[in-house]
Amino acid sequence: MTRTISFLQAINEAMAEEMRRDPKVIVLGEDVHLGAFGQTTGLIKEFGSDRVVNTPIAENAITGVAMGTGLNGLRPILELMFCDFALLAMDQICNHLGQWRYFTGNQYSIPITIRTTVGGGFRMAYGHSQSLESQFIQAPGLILIAPSNPYDAKGLLKSAIRSDDPVLFFEHKKLILGGVQGEVPEEEYTIPFGKAAVRVKGKDATVVATMFMVYEALAAAAELAKEGIQIEVIDPRTLVPLDKDTLFESVEKTGRLITVEEGRIRGGIGAEIAALACGDYFSLLKAPVQRVAAPMIPIPGSAVLEDLYLPNKDSIIRAVKRTL
Amino acid sequence: MTLSNQTLVQLYRKMLLVRALEEKHGHLLAEGRIQLMAHFGTGQEAVAIGVTGPLRKEDILFGTHRGVGDYIGQGLDPRDIWMEYLGKKTGPCKGKGTLHLADRKVNIPGLVSSLGADFSIAVGTALASKLRKTNQVTLYLVGEGTCNQGDAGPSMCMAALWKVPIVFAVCTNQFCEMSYMCEHYPTDDVAPRAAGYGIPYEIADGQEVETVYAAAERAVEHARSGKGPYLVEYKTFRMALHFSGDPGGYVKPEDLEKWRKRDPIDLCQKKILDLKILTSDQDQNLRKEVQAEVDAAIAHALSALDPTREDLFEDVYAQKGVIS
Repeated sequence: MTRTISFLQAINEAMAEEMRRDPKVIVLGEDVHLGAFGQTTGLIKEFGSDRVVNTPIAENAITGVAMGTGLNGLRPILELMFCDFALLAMDQICNHLGQWRYFTGNQYSIPITIRTTVGGGFRMAYGHSQSLESQFIQAPGLILIAPSNPYDAKGLLKSAIRSDDPVLFFEHKKLILGGVQGEVPEEEYTIPFGKAAVRVKGKDATVVATMFMVYEALAAAAELAKEGIQIEVIDPRTLVPLDKDTLFESVEKTGRLITVEEGRIRGGIGAEIAALACGDYFSLLKAPVQRVAAPMIPIPGSAVLEDLYLPNKDSIIRAVKRTL
Repeated sequence: MTLSNQTLVQLYRKMLLVRALEEKHGHLLAEGRIQLMAHFGTGQEAVAIGVTGPLRKEDILFGTHRGVGDYIGQGLDPRDIWMEYLGKKTGPCKGKGTLHLADRKVNIPGLVSSLGADFSIAVGTALASKLRKTNQVTLYLVGEGTCNQGDAGPSMCMAALWKVPIVFAVCTNQFCEMSYMCEHYPTDDVAPRAAGYGIPYEIADGQEVETVYAAAERAVEHARSGKGPYLVEYKTFRMALHFSGDPGGYVKPEDLEKWRKRDPIDLCQKKILDLKILTSDQDQNLRKEVQAEVDAAIAHALSALDPTREDLFEDVYAQKGVIS
């Protein structure tokens, strides 16, 4: 049995179910009682203010507080409203969080899930629209999750909350606010980390796309199909660990690789995947790897300019054609 | 309350142990036998030992980078300290943390690198104690230099807001790294900042261990009884330089001379001899015993097992191995 729910509902249900299952799970963040975008809405009613903790506006400090609860027996879920603001917590996340298990020789670990939103399209300009997930791939010890649909969001968030490792969970605003719907099972399920999903099969080129860009890639696939070009769209679902097996099995078939992300191009996820391709998998390639990503400029607020800035179906189609 | 003679001798012995351990560290560095730099806490032993004195076994300590005083105070074994300092496989952090000591046996979750990051983390462990009703107190020991970190404010704010069982103990040693405190502070005291958050505070002498202990006991009792945070500022003087490679030259000789007259170990010795708690012979024997313990601990650590290549990639994640 399945039912259709929204991306927003998937995240809310995952938290509520895990809070019911495990009394150690708590939620912290700015305005989580009300729910700034709605992910945490209603939790306060069921779980009370001991387990749904509104915090002051101090991202690095509230991240530290959440980490401290994790060091002392709880399983915190921390909401950082925008990934742009998660940069205020870079000291905690990149200096300390991911390395705590290692530098203490496995005596302590921090089972935290940090949820934060990414993505543009709402005309909010430079400081509320970025996709900064690639900023965190350099930090050891973290798991990075980038879901594209309600099924993945719910299953992966439940796995994240149960994980003994620190997890960063990215939520694209177009998926949360855009009302993206999808089917989820009635019964409980979780999704393991490091398993990519093939969204559409194809033989001519492999397009690896994340979060909202999966939908742009699917639109590109539909349009290219009219010209007889069949692309395979792969959604990695988790960035760390990255499912290299699924990705490069596809490249073995197609010989062509196009990476797509909404973040900026320099040092991005695509750069990392392209480097992997050019190293361990070079012999599979029939054409140079193409990267579709945002340019190295701030995000403009104007609708006209932001639409020019964001990667989309058309930039994916152009990149695919460059490999053929 | 007045300390028992037995407790006073125990505190005295611990101060001797701290001084002897740090002197030995200095000798080993001077002889070129070890590489690990040190931040000595010479002159601050009464603060470190006195403030940790009233803690219970289950209480949590976030100590400072300065000296081994708070670790000895909390019951960390000198052999464990030194196996870790020398990066040995048998150290509590398996040689992966060295100066970032953590020891779960005595509830020390770890020393962070960017000082002050643990301000909020300590509030988090205390919040977890409150939510889990564990009756633990978290002691956050911090220098006045670190109190200028941005997270000091929001951390105290949240501690007071949620009435968590935490004691903030500020060890004002007159120096912020290689500057006099007055170069970093427009005020003589740090403690009144607590009042801005409604946190009760007191300022106490940091040279007499029994005074330090008594103030800490009041603070710990306050926190444990559910009244929320308490801050104590101890006035002391760092008789060592900032770190083992510090070129020095900035400490006024008259200041050093003045504070040497109130060396915490000398003050405690005088009291113990004056009150005939120990005879002079017993004192000398105690000092010999402490020196022997230090020599044995360091010899033990020097001959302990080194980690191997196999250890390099362990303890990054909960599961074995590394995610690249």
